[in-house]
Amino acid sequence: MTPVVLEASAVAPFWEQLFQRYRVMGPKEKEPGFYVFDWLSGPGELVLDYVTTILPPKKAFFPPRDVLFRFEQGRNGTPPKVEPIFEQEPFLLVGVHPCDLAGIALLDWAFSQGHVDPHWWARREAATIIGVNCFPDEYCFCTSVGTCRPGGGYDLFLTPIEAGYFVEVGSEKGQRLLEAYAQRRPPEPNDFRDAERFWREKEERISRRLKTPAYALPLLLDASVESPVWERTAQRCYSCGSCTTVCPTCFCFDVVDELTLDLRKGERVRRWDSCQFLDFARVAGGQNFRGERVARTRHRWYRKFYYLMARYGRPFCTGCGRCARACTANIGLVEVLNELAEGGEP
Amino acid sequence: MIARATFESSERTLYIPTLATLLRVETLTATEKLFELALPNGQALGHWPGQFVEVSLFGYGEAPISLCSAPEDGPTFQLCIRRVGTLTGALHRLEPGAFVGIRGPFGKGFPVEAMEGKDLLVVAGGIGLAPLRSLIRHILAHREKVNRFLILYGAKHPSELLFRPELEEWEAREDVEFHVTVDRPDEGWKGHVGVITTLFPKVDLDSERTVAAVVGPPVMYRFVLLELLAKGIPLNQIYFSLERRMKCGVGKCGHCQINGVYVCQDGPVFSFPALKVLWEAVEARAPVR
Repeated sequence: MTPVVLEASAVAPFWEQLFQRYRVMGPKEKEPGFYVFDWLSGPGELVLDYVTTILPPKKAFFPPRDVLFRFEQGRNGTPPKVEPIFEQEPFLLVGVHPCDLAGIALLDWAFSQGHVDPHWWARREAATIIGVNCFPDEYCFCTSVGTCRPGGGYDLFLTPIEAGYFVEVGSEKGQRLLEAYAQRRPPEPNDFRDAERFWREKEERISRRLKTPAYALPLLLDASVESPVWERTAQRCYSCGSCTTVCPTCFCFDVVDELTLDLRKGERVRRWDSCQFLDFARVAGGQNFRGERVARTRHRWYRKFYYLMARYGRPFCTGCGRCARACTANIGLVEVLNELAEGGEP
Repeated sequence: MIARATFESSERTLYIPTLATLLRVETLTATEKLFELALPNGQALGHWPGQFVEVSLFGYGEAPISLCSAPEDGPTFQLCIRRVGTLTGALHRLEPGAFVGIRGPFGKGFPVEAMEGKDLLVVAGGIGLAPLRSLIRHILAHREKVNRFLILYGAKHPSELLFRPELEEWEAREDVEFHVTVDRPDEGWKGHVGVITTLFPKVDLDSERTVAAVVGPPVMYRFVLLELLAKGIPLNQIYFSLERRMKCGVGKCGHCQINGVYVCQDGPVFSFPALKVLWEAVEARAPVR
């Protein structure tokens, strides 16, 4: 579908129209310099020139606490009642960066393998996604994992240009949104050049790089099982789970029942879990299959760059840099891979 | 770029248990009970030996439990459950008529087709007999499928032996070579004493035509494997069923992952060559508890 230009003067009315008609989740400032995806009360809260958010937008489809169903205990021999919960109210997810679009695409795949996850897909199909081009910082490394330019996954995608926004249309849904609510014009040669410059300058600003080409990471890890890098990294790691909590491609969860105080009703919920936690692989008999911290530390890299990559064909990492920003011990995902690439010597 | 799935309404029940009715509870030992359950409307579970179900009680949670009855045992199915925690404690307090949430069956069971015409050696340690009982009962229902049928079973103590009337039945059968051992005997015990590997010298195997199915505690696998290798059993004729923590049963929650495989989807039954390349598979290097 052909791109269009939204003139600067047409931007505010476009958002006004959308906010009047949809629930909107988008980035807003939580505290100075810290941004979060949240339900927005109006266009005034929407921030589109943010660096990154604390949590990725996967929470729109896979919230940290996700109700699978409600139940009510039976009485006097009657069976319990079960009420499945699916959230399907249409909403807009706006302000999604290219790396986070890639993260959503990776989870689309993960939540479709073997079994289609109905809770992910109910929200996913209710969403219209408006992506926006980004302003990288020193943690970003999307150019190393091929997520710098989105390969799809958006309904509309906005790139700031002189005139306003250069808008790429990714779906019929996006096209309809434009036709209904946007005052727009066809792009002129200048607009294409502006947009291309934005992409290029952005890519040039990204300084963090993997020393191994993405396709070769499984080979690197295959040869690194016994590398001293893991022990060294694990000695600094607190197993706090910050890295997995902020990761746009982590999707491990725990399932628990939460009861009301009278113990008659409750909800079965899934909650984000972390392979870095001590109990993650512990079974009822007491055996813990990843009881050593080094095994858990190593597992994170192997899952992203080996196990899931072998199945999906590309790294389960979007280069967003959130794990390194969040790490309490200042462990860098890129730095560890680069240490391995250099042979693991300190 | 996107492997987009079509969201079918049939997938909506992925995490929703079916309410089965508890028909019968039998106390097997001080810590294990046998539960016989029926799905609504006489529907069969449709499982294969070695598969498991996610069992839940609302308010207590959900856990993966192996089927211990054979598909041939009827539309009802059986679970042998050890009391170890909150959920299993609550299950042990149930009486017939109670409702139990069931999802599944899940996973890949024992490859019976690979056992056909061969000698089948079943090696069960402790509660590992529960999943193997589904295989044993299946084979006994079609005894012609395998040539020799050998069962080695070890428990810590005579009081921990499961399914005692059936053990006697297997012992009495001409077409089953059954050997049982306990680590520590009591006064009445007249049988073999020693860990399960001490039964191996008692059996004479035709290694090339033997297929082994092994289930027990993690510590048992390494030592049983050494015995099987010493007997010369081909690697691809050795099968293990692995226990892992599981929350979903459908390859999502990540808990059961061993290197690149999900035990709930790719297992729980694995051939030895499939496990050999997974360094996380059998080793549990961390101290227990």
